[in-house]
Amino acid sequence: MAVNDNKVETVEKAEEKKPELPNTKEGNLVRELLEKAPYAEGSVRREKRIEFRVPAERIHEFLELASETFEMLMQISVVDWLKENEFELVYQLWSVSESVHAFVKTRVPRENAKLPTVMDIWPVAETYEREAHEFFGIVFEGNPRLGPFILEPREYEKHPLRKDFNTLSYVKTIYGEDFDRYDESKTNYVI
Amino acid sequence: MSERKNDEFISYELKEFKLFEPLFRWARKKSLWIVAFCTGCGGIEMPPLATARYDFERFGIMPNPAPRMGDLFLITGYVTPKTLKRIIITYEMMQDPKYVLAHGSCPINGGVYWDSYNVVKQLDKYIPIDVAIAGCMPRAEAVMQGIMDIIRKIENGEADGWKRYRENYEWYRKNQDELFGEGWREKDAKRWLAWL
Repeated sequence: MAVNDNKVETVEKAEEKKPELPNTKEGNLVRELLEKAPYAEGSVRREKRIEFRVPAERIHEFLELASETFEMLMQISVVDWLKENEFELVYQLWSVSESVHAFVKTRVPRENAKLPTVMDIWPVAETYEREAHEFFGIVFEGNPRLGPFILEPREYEKHPLRKDFNTLSYVKTIYGEDFDRYDESKTNYVI
Repeated sequence: MSERKNDEFISYELKEFKLFEPLFRWARKKSLWIVAFCTGCGGIEMPPLATARYDFERFGIMPNPAPRMGDLFLITGYVTPKTLKRIIITYEMMQDPKYVLAHGSCPINGGVYWDSYNVVKQLDKYIPIDVAIAGCMPRAEAVMQGIMDIIRKIENGEADGWKRYRENYEWYRKNQDELFGEGWREKDAKRWLAWL
């Protein structure tokens, strides 16, 4: 618990410091966007790298605003936070005109994770959303091509990049039992 | 292995040509055309083998675009179930004296992908391997050594993977069907090969 309290304190401190956005190109970008979207939190990580945290229900609205400066969607990556029972989606945007890389982070609960699609802003999002859907089971409402994509159908059902997916037991059921890495006495697991 | 006589196997050559068998073996070992099926990381070990430093063409080895003309099938790295479907179809398309050379530890037991959901752990269960080279990844010297091994085995008549595949076809077929499910050839392979 003590550790958690410390974390909360540091977060609060960071929030207190937040108004001091640096007076640089990146700082101005964050300031402009936060004026239009006061529900988001923003910070400058380093040169050419900025970061936003947006609540999940307003992510589409925020990305539509951001797409005026950030023309490219580079990737949608997903982090599975098992203890907090949440998926963190990171939309990576690139501004061609300003050459700044932005992370837009949002969190959704792991059960029945649903988000609106951003295909209407960046059509390229279709592929990234299909991938995130296949590996984590997140449903992007409005994407017409969600479904089995790269993996075999039986792997698609299990969403293999989730943290609670037991790779080893899956491997044993699919490829057989005789590939365990035990030592010679068959008692200790080697790797 | 060397004491085993070739007569113990089912003979697939015409009896009239039995006399010329040594000649055929010599010709086969001197003209291995490879099917360049570069899966995984071993594909990058092929250019040094093909170019001036190791130059496998001096052994009569030649990259070849069509499996119908190939003799030597190089599996150059890890094999995913999706690739394995293509590998099995390609292997069955090759003409009959055909040899398989597996690079690296991944086709042997999974290698670093030992607990990965998407890497086939033992390739020998699905198609017969003649020579397996250990290493991650084997250097070009090791691959040359493997090629010398397969040349020696062809000369001795020990490179009999294609015979094993015919004799134990039910066993291989059972393993393949266990992994992919019954009827995967009709379902999947027909999409790539209309004539199947």
